[in-house]
Amino acid sequence: MSHVSLPTLHSTESAARTCALSSCRAGTRVTVVDIECSGDEACRLRALGFCEGTSVNVIDARDSMLLEVRGTRLALGAALTAGITVQPTAARA
Amino acid sequence: MTAPTAESAKGATAPLPPGGTLRVAIIGNPNTGKTTLFNALTGLRQRVGNFAGVTVERVEGAFKGPDGQRVAVLDLPGSYSLSAGSPDEQIALDVLLQRDSDRWRPDVVLVVIDASHLERNLFLAGQVIELGVPVVVALNQIDVANEQGISIDVPELSHELGVQVIPTVAKRGEGLDPLKSALVRAGTLPLPERRFRLPADVQRALAPVEQCLLREGLHPSAAGMEALRLLGVQRTEPHLAQVPDLRDEVVAAAEKLRGAGYTPARLESEIRYAWIADVVGRTVTRTSHESVSFSDRVDRVVLHRVWGPLIFLLLMAVVFQAVFTWAAPLMDGIEVLIGALGGAVAERIPEGDLRSLVEGGLFGGVGSVLVFLPQIAILFAFITLLEHSGYMARAAFLMDRVMRRVGLHGKSFIPMLSGYACAVPGVMATRTIEDPKDRLATIMVVPLMSCSARLPVYTLLIGAFVPATALLPGLTLQGATMLGMYLLGTVTALLVAAVFKRTLLKGPVRPMILELPPYRWPSLWSLLVSVWQRCALFLRRAGTVILALSIVLWAMATYPKASVDASLPEEVQAEQQLEYSLLGRVGKAIEPAVRPLGYDWKIGVSIAASFAAREVFVSTMGTIYGVGGENEAALSEKLRAEVDPNTGQRRYTPLVAIGLMVFYVYALMCISTVAVTVREAGGGGVGWRWAGIQFAYMLALAWVAAWLVYAGGRALGFGG
Repeated sequence: MSHVSLPTLHSTESAARTCALSSCRAGTRVTVVDIECSGDEACRLRALGFCEGTSVNVIDARDSMLLEVRGTRLALGAALTAGITVQPTAARA
Repeated sequence: MTAPTAESAKGATAPLPPGGTLRVAIIGNPNTGKTTLFNALTGLRQRVGNFAGVTVERVEGAFKGPDGQRVAVLDLPGSYSLSAGSPDEQIALDVLLQRDSDRWRPDVVLVVIDASHLERNLFLAGQVIELGVPVVVALNQIDVANEQGISIDVPELSHELGVQVIPTVAKRGEGLDPLKSALVRAGTLPLPERRFRLPADVQRALAPVEQCLLREGLHPSAAGMEALRLLGVQRTEPHLAQVPDLRDEVVAAAEKLRGAGYTPARLESEIRYAWIADVVGRTVTRTSHESVSFSDRVDRVVLHRVWGPLIFLLLMAVVFQAVFTWAAPLMDGIEVLIGALGGAVAERIPEGDLRSLVEGGLFGGVGSVLVFLPQIAILFAFITLLEHSGYMARAAFLMDRVMRRVGLHGKSFIPMLSGYACAVPGVMATRTIEDPKDRLATIMVVPLMSCSARLPVYTLLIGAFVPATALLPGLTLQGATMLGMYLLGTVTALLVAAVFKRTLLKGPVRPMILELPPYRWPSLWSLLVSVWQRCALFLRRAGTVILALSIVLWAMATYPKASVDASLPEEVQAEQQLEYSLLGRVGKAIEPAVRPLGYDWKIGVSIAASFAAREVFVSTMGTIYGVGGENEAALSEKLRAEVDPNTGQRRYTPLVAIGLMVFYVYALMCISTVAVTVREAGGGGVGWRWAGIQFAYMLALAWVAAWLVYAGGRALGFGG
């Protein structure tokens, strides 16, 4: 039995340097800050391992986006990626 | 209805009665090889797919345990979590919480985990472990994980999860015996429970919700799981409405948590993934880190903005051309075989009605349909290949943009592509679509995708009336006409879906959430099994529905007997008999409805007869023209030679043939599709209403389009 620690739970990320996921270019590495979409879709995203605090690689960015999340490939529609706030952590050269 | 779990939880810990059946439910994320494992365990074969959620039917199988005990296995639909987002996941949740209508209560739950995607897969496993039912974890595709340099400490993982963990490679049948033993042993071990402790304030806030669920008879562990899970669920799940006070308690708990600085909707995923990170940290070692995987390299080309759609179109063109040309030698072979058989049998029967029944009814009717088996097999092989390799999800991704214009998202394209093979699995594949309106709109248009049952009609008419002129290397005018019919159906399906989404099924465009599974070499065996299953289904239809209809139609064409002048040529005699027969009279009654389309009563009868199944059109024509033990080529020949006795002109022109094909592109002539639409559109009155709308709009579309082709073509001078 382990006690879980919730690293992102009470921290309020600074608004600086955050942007919409939809504005990120292919090759960027980002951390998810906030998922703002209908409850159903947020619930599905989180079950797929796409939740607040998750590191995500942007593989392809057109109107829908192709992302690497926890080793899996997720395709997300444009309406979703516009509502997801992320913090870029690195850009691939 | 919900008084579920207390009793079953007791049942789970109690030893099974000797000779009793152990019931195992299999659950796992899509693409974990869950269905392959199910097949390997039970030996019962079914379709295995690689795109999200191919397992849409309820499939049960059984095997004998190590000590001869009977073990029944239920393959649950692929699910990412227990928070049901799609009808598929709802089915899985209902079975696991013992709320499904059949009351199928699992004694053991087998969670299948993809070892190469452990992190994501442990989310569902974590939820299932808390259900208060014995659990066994199959760590599948362990070979793939090892190849990727991921090594997993299995005993440690088993310790962390508190359940037996068995490494397996389902597609090679590895690890099955230990897995079977583990399943049988699971009931004798202590029940698994939550593997982490919630922060005290969270536990306090959730306590009233748990109390509520406990009063309903849920296992204490399951109540804890549900309380945490319901915080993130916005939709009204059935038990939220049925359990007294539950909804209010969930709202109150969420309020309390917000006051304490938590975000209730994210709480479950944060806590579970924090626990998962912990488990993964202790059990997984990565020896190498592949930076760009094989799948990514393929995707760079296949999903390319320019090349992607081109490759997709090229693939489709190859498929349809292959269906038309590769099948030809096989079809000729079957024709010769049926012809020889029919001739040999008919020779032994004295001249008369019995001989006519065998020649015209059996060999003419059923035989003319059997000829198309190779084409159907090739088409299914291609569609299955697209599914198994992982390309299907890529096609959905490529089509998302087009589908969004329509008002649906890319995922709706997967059932539509399956519809090329058969509308029935296509309609069932819509279960992975979460939004009910999107789902209905997709169901309504899936039958517009030209299915394999239309192939015999297209092939007959194209073969008879379209010359095999070469257009491009490898593409003939015949192949192009076939492609044109498929395109017509596809484009119309998109347009009609757009109309539905703007009228009867108005709603916002839901954004796409789609997992692209890694590309895999499909196993030849499972490919063959899938194709064989479809062929068997077709053969069964030929042996039952089509056989029965052929006999009925033969009888209708033969009786009552006309008193014909024996001095007339045989052809004329036959013609007079046909017109005098019951079938002829029915045809004459139908004729006014099809006359504007350029059809005579013979086509009218064949269309009417094929409302049960489209292939019957060909067998009816076969019966009418008495091609008996001969073959499809003979039928084409007769169609081309048919002359209108009044005008002396050819009765079937290429224009009539094209119009007829267009009619078949649009008309919903398939009892099975109507039945599956009734069920999937909601069943009962609602289901029938939607099935009625579907049938009516497609028939109207068919008639109008065929009329436009015929009347328009004539006006433009293509009448000849």
